[in-house]
Amino acid sequence: MSNENREVILSIKHVDITFEVGHKKKLVAVKDANFDIYKGETFALVGESGSGKTTLGRAIMRINPCSAGEIEFEGKRISGKISKEEDRNVVRNIQMIFQDPAASLNERATIDYCVSEGLYNFHLYKDEAERVAKVDKALEDVGLLPEHKSRYPHEFSGGQRQRVGIARAMIMEPKFIVADEPISALDVSIRAQVLNLMNKLKVERNLTYLFIAHDLSVVRFIADRIAVIHHGEIVEIAESETLFEYPIHPYTIALLSTVPMPDPLVEKNRKHIVYDPSQLDQSGEAREMRELRPGHFVYCTSKEFADYEEKITKMEQERNEKAL
Amino acid sequence: MMEEKNVNSANNENDLFGFAAFDKYESEHIAAPQYSYWKSVWRTFIKNKFTVCVAIVMLILVGFSLIQPSISGYDPLIAPNVTDESMRFQQPSREHIFGTDNVGNEVFDVVWAGARNSIIISFVCTFINMVIGITVGAVWGFSKKMDKWMIEVYNVVSNVPFLLLAMILSYVMGAGMGTLIFVMCVTDWIFVAFFIRTQTMIIRDREYNLASKCLGTSTWTMIKNNILPYLISVIMTYIARMIPSLISYEVFLSYMGLGLGVTKASLGRMISIYTSYMNGYPHLFWIPVTVLAMLSISLYIVGQRLADAADPRTHM
Repeated sequence: MSNENREVILSIKHVDITFEVGHKKKLVAVKDANFDIYKGETFALVGESGSGKTTLGRAIMRINPCSAGEIEFEGKRISGKISKEEDRNVVRNIQMIFQDPAASLNERATIDYCVSEGLYNFHLYKDEAERVAKVDKALEDVGLLPEHKSRYPHEFSGGQRQRVGIARAMIMEPKFIVADEPISALDVSIRAQVLNLMNKLKVERNLTYLFIAHDLSVVRFIADRIAVIHHGEIVEIAESETLFEYPIHPYTIALLSTVPMPDPLVEKNRKHIVYDPSQLDQSGEAREMRELRPGHFVYCTSKEFADYEEKITKMEQERNEKAL
Repeated sequence: MMEEKNVNSANNENDLFGFAAFDKYESEHIAAPQYSYWKSVWRTFIKNKFTVCVAIVMLILVGFSLIQPSISGYDPLIAPNVTDESMRFQQPSREHIFGTDNVGNEVFDVVWAGARNSIIISFVCTFINMVIGITVGAVWGFSKKMDKWMIEVYNVVSNVPFLLLAMILSYVMGAGMGTLIFVMCVTDWIFVAFFIRTQTMIIRDREYNLASKCLGTSTWTMIKNNILPYLISVIMTYIARMIPSLISYEVFLSYMGLGLGVTKASLGRMISIYTSYMNGYPHLFWIPVTVLAMLSISLYIVGQRLADAADPRTHM
């Protein structure tokens, strides 16, 4: 579809991430991850706990090293060893919003320091007055007051702290933001507030998000495209609405069946499907990402691909009949 | 009819209700008074009456030790009353507050001059040990590469018998203040470094440090702003233990003849000389020991209380 014409901002190429567990034992956290993120979109990575989504996010932040493959940002490799100048460039342009706002702020530093930390590191201000102005602006953008600067993180509510975390990332004027479950530690009543703020900033500053989450209803609200990850393997990538309309990988179907519905009648009839890996092709053929429909990728063998093709055609026909 | 009624009620509602001014930032205000770390430390510290009393005692003792010797001009090499038999072994009285000793010197002068040297040595050693120990320990805790070989250095250095080292060094370098300070710093810093390394490792991988890393903060800035502020109270505890223990160590080494030479006043050497007159003139022994004990205990208590106050969990 239009995807080919869009500018790729971040590209993950056959990335493996492994951890050493004791001697010689290895834990594969992410296996053969391969996708592009386009400029200006919100790309969501969903999966259950321990599926490797945070690990992949941290690999982009270069906290976890890749054991194979490459990560490219604006066409330049950022994984592995890179020069100091490029390192600074990457730090300025890729920022992260953390999951737990209580743990990710330095409790012994004032909000002023927390927010200006990046400015200090890169000396992004001419004089003290400009730094103060920048910090005030950043706090204002996230709906906080300049008087909060002399306060300490423990004096704030969870939502306010998360907004401090957002201000800290935004003050660097990044192009790309990894949001690692930014609302899962927040109270339900303020989740929408933070999500709306993130959306507002995205539009204002033409940002690109990698949104890591396990809550599918949230993802549907915020994401343009979704990748489903299971046990370190990305099983399906599609545009948000396509994925909810035509989920094709058995794991995606199982995952979608767990979303609670607000309508009690629908909720009553909701069937919880349990994912069973044995229903996949067991021939041992190596799986790869195959494009089922334009922009809709599934991780499968050629036999599975044929099945999926049949299924999705059937689903489309059904939809068309209904529409008629 | 219905319409009329509606209009009426609408009118009434308009009279009764109006839009209140709404400030969306109102909910963002924090009502609690401004929090200041050091002010809270001070408030917690002075809350306890006993602590304040001990702190005053400590200040008097330390102040007196630092000032009195320069007024009395006591010099261990000069004993002006050594030829005057009547001046020896005087009991404490109004003229001789702590009495006089075997060579006719005022014990009062001897004790404070000795205490001054002990305090200076212990403060200087604590300072050196802390500066080296904290710097090395913080980097050691951060760097996994350094940890590999530093732990071996620690194993070797920490197993060197201290007394043996002290004896050899004081024979080689000659007795004196410089030697004593060197002896008490040469291996002691590594214990501080090891302690700080362990503490650093505990908080090194917390998420806010990852956040700092993502913002491009250098290791040094992270140590300064993310690690050390969390360690203030444990470092204070360490200092509170170290100062009195080094005072005792100075006295101990001087008592053993390994400390300060005869040219410098020393509590330890005095105690070792006075011990032989303990049967006839017990005050000669008990007065310096009491001063030493009061100094160590008050320093220790004040340090401990300060360390407790430095822990923000006590500020509520």
